[in-house]
Amino acid sequence: MGENWFRRELLTPRRLIFNILFYGLHLFFFAYGWYSQATNQKLAALNGLKWSVWTSRGAGLVLAFDGGLILIPMLRNIIRVVRPRLAWLFPADENIWFHRQVAYSMAFWAMVHTTAHYVNFFNVERTQVRPEIALDIHYTQPGGITGHFMLLIMVVMYTTAHHKIRAQCFEAFWYTHHLAFFFMIGLYTHATGCFVRDSAEPTFSRVFPFYTTDHCLGYESWRFTIWPGIIYFGERVWREIRARRATRLSKVLVHPSGAMELRVIKPSFKYVAGQWLFIQVPDVSGFQWHPFTITSAPEDPYVSVHIRQVGDWTHALGERLGAGPSVVQSLTQAALKGKEKDEASPYGTRGDFVELDPGYSARPLPAVRIDGPYGAPAEDVFKVEVAVLVGAGIGVTPFASILKHIWYRQRKGTLGSLKRVEFFWVCRDAPSFGWFQSLLQEVEAAQADPNFLRINIYLTQKIGEDMLWNIAVNDAGAEYDPLTLLRTRTMFGRPDWKSIYNRMRQAIETGQYIPGSNSQLKTKVGTYFCGPGVLAKSIKEACVANSSAHVDFTFAKEHF
Amino acid sequence: MGNLIWHEYARLVSLTASVYTIWAAFWGILYRKYFWDFVGGIVRSPGGIQPSPNASVMIAIIVKAPVLQIFALILGLGLVAVEYPAPFLKGTVFQRSLIIKIMMLLVQSIVAILFYQGTNGGLWSMIAMGCYIRAVIKGEKMEVAKENRGRGGKA
Repeated sequence: MGENWFRRELLTPRRLIFNILFYGLHLFFFAYGWYSQATNQKLAALNGLKWSVWTSRGAGLVLAFDGGLILIPMLRNIIRVVRPRLAWLFPADENIWFHRQVAYSMAFWAMVHTTAHYVNFFNVERTQVRPEIALDIHYTQPGGITGHFMLLIMVVMYTTAHHKIRAQCFEAFWYTHHLAFFFMIGLYTHATGCFVRDSAEPTFSRVFPFYTTDHCLGYESWRFTIWPGIIYFGERVWREIRARRATRLSKVLVHPSGAMELRVIKPSFKYVAGQWLFIQVPDVSGFQWHPFTITSAPEDPYVSVHIRQVGDWTHALGERLGAGPSVVQSLTQAALKGKEKDEASPYGTRGDFVELDPGYSARPLPAVRIDGPYGAPAEDVFKVEVAVLVGAGIGVTPFASILKHIWYRQRKGTLGSLKRVEFFWVCRDAPSFGWFQSLLQEVEAAQADPNFLRINIYLTQKIGEDMLWNIAVNDAGAEYDPLTLLRTRTMFGRPDWKSIYNRMRQAIETGQYIPGSNSQLKTKVGTYFCGPGVLAKSIKEACVANSSAHVDFTFAKEHF
Repeated sequence: MGNLIWHEYARLVSLTASVYTIWAAFWGILYRKYFWDFVGGIVRSPGGIQPSPNASVMIAIIVKAPVLQIFALILGLGLVAVEYPAPFLKGTVFQRSLIIKIMMLLVQSIVAILFYQGTNGGLWSMIAMGCYIRAVIKGEKMEVAKENRGRGGKA
């Protein structure tokens, strides 16, 4: 941490530009708010309160700015549309990060604003510049009431949004974050009490917005900040309408690793590889939308997602679909037994998936609703020459879609500038290979050019003695890897990213890597990562360290 | 409600409430006012509320000398130290006992609600207290911090 943190957070060029713009604008608005209050002759009476009223007005304007910004990163559909065109301008995939920055800044300026107002109202009461007491303003006038409510809502929203709480109980976060509706109402009506005025009494009127601007001299900031709110509300309504379009759950497949594959048919749903969606199962919960990566390719006639039963919602979903823990466990057992039997035949797969037949169970398949698709950096795979796809654990799901899509495009011969694909899968335990294996096999078998797609699988689990012997005996000379049944060998331990990238760079620079490419040209190597943050950091470091004049390593991380 | 661990949530609310109370107490020392002075008080212009003689004790410890605010400030700092926790309190009974925290929050909410700036802090302290009480009812225990546990997965 220390200096390192300071440099990373504040001084990397993009971050520096952001900081200057973002905090510069905040300070500008604060200064302007302060100045316009302090120099306004009409408000001379209020200016008798001195610095506290200037501060509160400045901070109020900053808060209006933040209130206008806070919803913009959450306009998911609009971001998805503008993202391909504006990805160079701002990191569209960091929308949640931006949302958080605005929230932090909002908390800070709320503190400044509130503190100043406590002083203001204290002095209003003491000097009787207006014939009222402090508590009247706090608890009987719109500004005070909405202000205190917004603070309370902020406490609840911020605390439940803590990453620890979100992981424990997503519902707590999900539901309380919808208090934002009331928060925004509070924000837009905060000034309706006409606190900033040049008359002793507020001038209310009978028509919207129920006060006149003759004497109410606020910033009227709601006229601007309400638009993101309206657009966001419209987007939520639109998402609801879109989710109600004909959707049918056509198949549920249970893979031996315990992952459920839901195949949904929704003709109105258009997407590209690597995107994700929200899914809702009204039988499990009528309000909750859960994000999952699409694992089917756009060419497939269905939309599929792979769901592992890890949280309370996914468990409930498993139960509802008839794929509860016991079912999954027996499947896994069967698969493991099957594997031993199959060792005689070299081409056996390790336990096939099982389709749940709705005819067997008493309840038909539940209704599902899907909402999306939403963007993810992996859409850009076809714009680079070399794509390095790194999936860790369940983070491999977007690459299922991408690899399938690459495979379809390969058959059609429309690969764009993509020349080579390096696929890395870092995975802790062997059983979770199951469901992804059939897909990889298919893709690997379809490769005409052995150099186009290279699959690298790393198993990071500690290996027991039995397994070690198993590998040693079965691996030697076999055509297929004993663990994955792919031609590619499984590697053990964590990958050494620095040397991997270094070798890749050298190979590209000497012209060995991409056949027919000139080493004078600049080669673009895009890394697309999905998985835990620590791994992302080390890969990113390797990317940055190995970028040279001829090879441009870029890095993109997908967020859940 | 999922697997919400109430005392971990309560800790976040309690920290927020305590930091707010500290800040409020600081300003309460500069601008002294008894929150409930409108009860029986009369408004004079200029001068504001003249509290009723019945409140003279409160006026003495809030307005004449900011005793209550200083107490709230110290208590708030203490709560932050217990909740964060400060290194020297880690693993001690103060950090691990939910009951002690409930008691401290109770005192904090009572103290904070008495002076003008502290009411929100008092209200939030009560919310934090409610969450801790819920944690106690559900029989939650503070986990012993696991020693030597790095973030893992550093490649």
